[in-house]
Amino acid sequence: MAHEIEHTTNHPSFKQYVLIAIILFAITIVEFLLIWDRAVIVDYLGPSKIPLLVGLSAVKFAIVIMYYMHLKFDHRLFGTVFIAGLVLAFLVGIALIGLFVGFGGGQRTYAKDRAIPYTEHEEHEAAKTATPATSKTETPAATGPLAISIGAVGETLTFDTDSITADSGSEVTITFNNPSANNQHNLVIVQEGTKDAVAADGTASGPANNWVQPGDARVIANTILLDPGASGEVTFTAPASGTYQFVCTFPGHNFTMFGNFIVN
Amino acid sequence: MAHAVEPEYTTTGLNHRKLLMWVFLGSDCLFFGALIATYMVYRGQSLTGPYPIDIIDVPVTTISTFVLLMSSFAMVQALAATHADNKRGIVGWLVATAVLGAIFIGFQVVEFNTFKNEGLTLGGNLFGATFFTLTGFHGAHVTLGIIWLVAMAILANKGRVGPNSALDIELLGLYWHFVDIVWIVIFTLLYLIAGFDAGPAAMPGG
Repeated sequence: MAHEIEHTTNHPSFKQYVLIAIILFAITIVEFLLIWDRAVIVDYLGPSKIPLLVGLSAVKFAIVIMYYMHLKFDHRLFGTVFIAGLVLAFLVGIALIGLFVGFGGGQRTYAKDRAIPYTEHEEHEAAKTATPATSKTETPAATGPLAISIGAVGETLTFDTDSITADSGSEVTITFNNPSANNQHNLVIVQEGTKDAVAADGTASGPANNWVQPGDARVIANTILLDPGASGEVTFTAPASGTYQFVCTFPGHNFTMFGNFIVN
Repeated sequence: MAHAVEPEYTTTGLNHRKLLMWVFLGSDCLFFGALIATYMVYRGQSLTGPYPIDIIDVPVTTISTFVLLMSSFAMVQALAATHADNKRGIVGWLVATAVLGAIFIGFQVVEFNTFKNEGLTLGGNLFGATFFTLTGFHGAHVTLGIIWLVAMAILANKGRVGPNSALDIELLGLYWHFVDIVWIVIFTLLYLIAGFDAGPAAMPGG
């Protein structure tokens, strides 16, 4: 009767089950001794304890599925579907860890640095925004909102551009990305030639004020102080034509981290 | 020994329910695999405490790990008693398994409560979020297993579990042992390996 249900009858005996339980307990005790500081072993092992612990756990895992879950005695298909799930779980784990921990955790900046502009998409977006502008606005000279993205460069205390441009009177939104793992940054738009003076006054005002003196007349706009990995936005109306500066006023950063903001 | 089970015809010659249970366990591997991977991704990424080294108590959790391992031993005895048609044995070992599982959950309740009092919450930092999500889902699996065990113990006590229904106990056992092996992995990774992690190496600022 090839198609009748098979029944497994050669399960381990009581004695064998007791032996298996003792082995599992013993492995757990060994694992505990490997990491217990009073057992001193951990001092000699160092980082090599990790493969040891993983190996011992894998042995426990295998014993439970082979004997307690009878995979050793059962039809291979049961084990196959389970192991398939286990292997996929491993791959999901490796993929997740690779995606989020690879490139030192800086995937977004890594991708952005290598991004190839998708021009077709940009033309399409431009066409979409252009159509209502011409139909609704009577003065074609008026400029729409301008979005600018700017970032800090790694841990180097510099911006990734030394010049940004906008039209006078237009609404400008600057998105500032701080990819650094350690440094806080901000972005402050100031009158030309005042960056160091603004930063000095900002230093006196402290981090609670985002390193910017409250009510400073030389400041046109500023982002809040951004933690490592954070990004922030600031929206303002571009002032009268001329040259302005953008700078990070975190104490000390203003000497290397600045650029020109040109208004046409 | 041949069991008097009503014949069931399948293309593989294998019982559908048992195959289904193994497929489910295979898919549950993916569920826990994703949660464990998420924990490892965010390991050491918490910007504020408490960190694992501040609150993880490895000796206490080693004891609860023993308890869960012991429950797996009781579970295989329940299956053996079912094959032997030993009613007292079935009820006794099923109740023993459920009680050991409940002790494990008791340890977890105390642990979660202690952690909460020491400032670790689901929304407090990445360690809390990933730790509670992973161990909480494992605890939910154990709790479900306890309910299943108690239900089968009640049926067994009424004399409705014997060699004819050995498959019911076997499926319960497969689920229970799976919960045990998931804990073997969690215990090793979260407690033995990552339980001594301190805060991030480089603190933010200047």
